[in-house]
This record gives sequence, C-alpha cells and structure tokens, in this order.
Amino acid sequence: MSAAALPARGPLRAAWPWLAAACGAGLLGLLLDARLTRDLLDWLPYLASGFVMNVVISVLAMTLGTLGGVVLGAMELSAARLVRAPAVAYVQVFRNAPHLVLIFATTYIFPFEIVVAGNYLPFPDWLKAVLGLAIPAAAYVAEIARGAILSVPTTQWDAAKGIGLSRGQTLRWIILPQCLRRALPPWMNLAASITMSTALASLVGVHELLHAATDASTAVRRDDFTVAIYLTVLLAFFLFCYPISRLTRRLERRLATR
Amino acid sequence: MIDAALQRFIAGAATLGLHYDFLLSGGEVRSWLAGMAMTLLLVVLAIPLSLLAGTAFAAALTSGRPWLAGPVRAYVELTRNTPTLVQLMFAFFALNMLLSRALGGAAHNPFSPVFWVVAVTGLHVAAFHAEALRGGIEAVPAPLVEAAQATGFSGLEILRYVTLPLALRTALPALVNNLVNLVKLTTIGSAIAVNEVTYASIMIWTQRDNVLELMIVILLFFGLINLTVSRIGRAVERRLAVPGYGVGYGV
Repeated sequence: MSAAALPARGPLRAAWPWLAAACGAGLLGLLLDARLTRDLLDWLPYLASGFVMNVVISVLAMTLGTLGGVVLGAMELSAARLVRAPAVAYVQVFRNAPHLVLIFATTYIFPFEIVVAGNYLPFPDWLKAVLGLAIPAAAYVAEIARGAILSVPTTQWDAAKGIGLSRGQTLRWIILPQCLRRALPPWMNLAASITMSTALASLVGVHELLHAATDASTAVRRDDFTVAIYLTVLLAFFLFCYPISRLTRRLERRLATR
Repeated sequence: MIDAALQRFIAGAATLGLHYDFLLSGGEVRSWLAGMAMTLLLVVLAIPLSLLAGTAFAAALTSGRPWLAGPVRAYVELTRNTPTLVQLMFAFFALNMLLSRALGGAAHNPFSPVFWVVAVTGLHVAAFHAEALRGGIEAVPAPLVEAAQATGFSGLEILRYVTLPLALRTALPALVNNLVNLVKLTTIGSAIAVNEVTYASIMIWTQRDNVLELMIVILLFFGLINLTVSRIGRAVERRLAVPGYGVGYGV
C-alpha cells in the first residue's frame, strides 16, 4: 500500500459533523415515531442473530483463507516451476472471480451432506458460504504474502544461506517475522472486505443480517420500517468495518513513515 | 460447420463428465448470451460513471472547502465500509420504493433495476477512485502548484491542467484495480432480478443441474473481461507515462 493511498487527518475530521448530523437526524426521527421504534426494537434480537452469522462466516473464511493463502504465496515464490505454476494459476483465476459467483458455485456444487466413515454429516449452506469466501480470500492472502516476502531484501536470503540455513529455515526464522508486520494492514483490509461480502450469503438463503432484514421487511410491510431496517443493516456493517479500517490506516501510516 | 464443431465440443466435454448439451437448445443459449450482453452493458455504463464521479469526489475532497469536502468524505467513508449488496438493497427496496410513491405508482417510476445497479456499483467504486486520485493530487509537489498559481491559473484550472493529469498517472494502477472490482460487483444485479450472466445462469442450472459447467464458462467470461480491462489500463499507463516522472514505480 503506497503512502499516497492514506487519507490526511484533516478531511476525516471534516466528515464527522456530517456523520453525526445524519445519525442525530435518524435518532430524532425514531424518537418522534414511537411505533417505528417499537417495531425496530422487536426485530433487533432477530437481526442480531443474523449478524452473528456474518461474523462467524467471516472469521472462518479468513482463517481458512489465511492458512491456504500463506501456503499458496510461498508456492508462488518456489524455484520449481511445477510448484509455482498451480499457485499462480489459482491466484489469477480466483482473484478475478466475483465473490457472488463463487458462493453460488460452492452452494450448488457441494452436496447437502457428506459421508465420513459411514456417518452422514450435514453440510449446511452457511458452511458452503464460508468455503465460497475462503477461496478468493486465499488468492488475496497469497498475493499479500508474496508481496510481504518479496519486500524483504534478497541479501538477507544470501546472508542466511551464508550462515548455513536452508531455504525453509530462512523463511521461518528470518523472513516471516519481518513479513508479518508488513502484511498486517492489507490483511486487515481484506478481512473487512470479506466481512462485507458475507452479506452475499443472503442470496443463497443463509440466515444472516441482510436476510433477516428482508424477512423483517416482508413481515411488517410498512414503508418507514423498510427504510429504517435497511439503514440499520448499513449501520451495523459500518460500525463493524469502520474501526477496522481506521486501525488499518493508522498501522499503514506508522509503517509508511519508516 | 459451427454445428459440427459444437457437436464435437459437447461430445468431448461429455467424456470429461461435463454436460454442455444445453448449448443445442436455442432458447437457453439465447437467454444466456443475453445475460452476457447485459453484464457487458452494465460494465460499459458503470465504468465511465465511476470515473466521472470519482474525479468529482476527488476534486471536492481536495478543494479545501469544508462544506464541500465534509459531506463527500462522509459519503466515501460510508460507502467504503458497508457492503455493496446492502447498498443496492437499500437503494432498490427503500429509495426506489419512496420514489415510486412520490411519483404516484411504480408505473410512473422511470428508474429500472438496471439503473440502480449501474448507479450503486458505479458510485460505490467512485469512492475508491476518489481516494486514489486524492492521494495522487496531494502527492503533487507544492512548488508546481505555486508556480501555476503565480502564472495566474485559477483553482479549477490548476486541477484540470496541473494536479489531475499528474494524479491520474500516479493513481492509474489503483484505478484499474478498482475497475476490476467494479466488473465483479455487477453480479449483485442478480439480487434484484437484473438478467445479467449470473442470473441467466441460475435460470439454466435450476432446469438442468449443470452448475459446474456453467460456472467454468462464467469464470472464463469474467477472467476475459478483467484481462481486457487490465490490458487497456496498462496500455493507457504506457501512453501517459511521463519520462522521469515515475511516481511510485520501483522507488
């Protein structure tokens, strides 16, 4: 991430009065309309149970994606073409693939239950959505990992070779510790992006926040409620992702000044 | 000739366990091609919208006027930190509904689902363009701007002739990256029944149960569009390159 992508502090501060005014107007509108407030509060636990699903999907997808992506990123840097080529192909294909298409793919291609040692285990849709998001996440993590490994000067590899470390040992003890710090900000950006993509799971029938909101909106069938419920969904994602994005920027700024 | 090639392809794919025989059914092929055409239309409409709006947002952000920069900054933060699908649902089910009410019924509402997909995805990506361009504008060396001021350029002229052209060169790789994302984002149109390629494919595979076969083609289709977008981006980058002004490249 180049320093040019960092917003200055000034403009961010300029946004606060406007964001606060928008929130204030919303709250005032709620206070003035007791019926809307009551309906929203009634549906809030249902929405919250949906949002828990978003967080679960995103955490699992990022865990799987990170594990797979680190392996792929290391494979991309391998000296052997036979190891390198499949990793490069994977990254190329799945970085260009729309997340929604991948979620559809995993949902419809995988069976609804799997047989493990004679036992039928259910394979629910939300787990398929996890896989659908872990696939592109791994491709992005691979690029982040590759970039982070390449950002360490090659002379360090030579120096490690000089003191008798193998390629694997050099990676584990010299390069990776430095890479982790460099990879953290883009990884956090990805985590926020994958969290936002979990809303796509609503389109394959997973009970998450957006799906819950659509349920609520069709159940209550009132215009003001529909507007309010979708605003609530926007607000929930914003409150979750904005702190991550602020923290990421602070980390980027700190690393950029070095 | 084409029929024979198609037959051979279907037979060949069948030996791999892939069933492409729907390609022989005229109606399904037509609706599938219409879906691809719709995706291309969405892309072709949303890309210029995102670039125009992104430039306008970047100009507002760097204008130095709080009443202009503030709301745009708030919009940029909101749109970057909320899912595009939720924005589309909000736009279509809330804003569009209110608009229909105000205009006296859905029949009088001139805004189609296609309009909302283009508007939401285009304006979403515009926020990312704006950030990239703003970074580029602020990276222009201050003496250059001061020299332009001394020559008698107005604020808008400085933006048009000095800072924006340089910012465009710095931001191009990021802009191309955003456009690739925009291409992928158009798939959310299927959520509001816009007949783009994902939606058209769902219609086919619910009848035929050939998800994998269609998926391979969809991935190739998007791969091809994105390859084209990045190729064009790289060509523009090369054309615009200013000798000696290699900001951010290999530094």
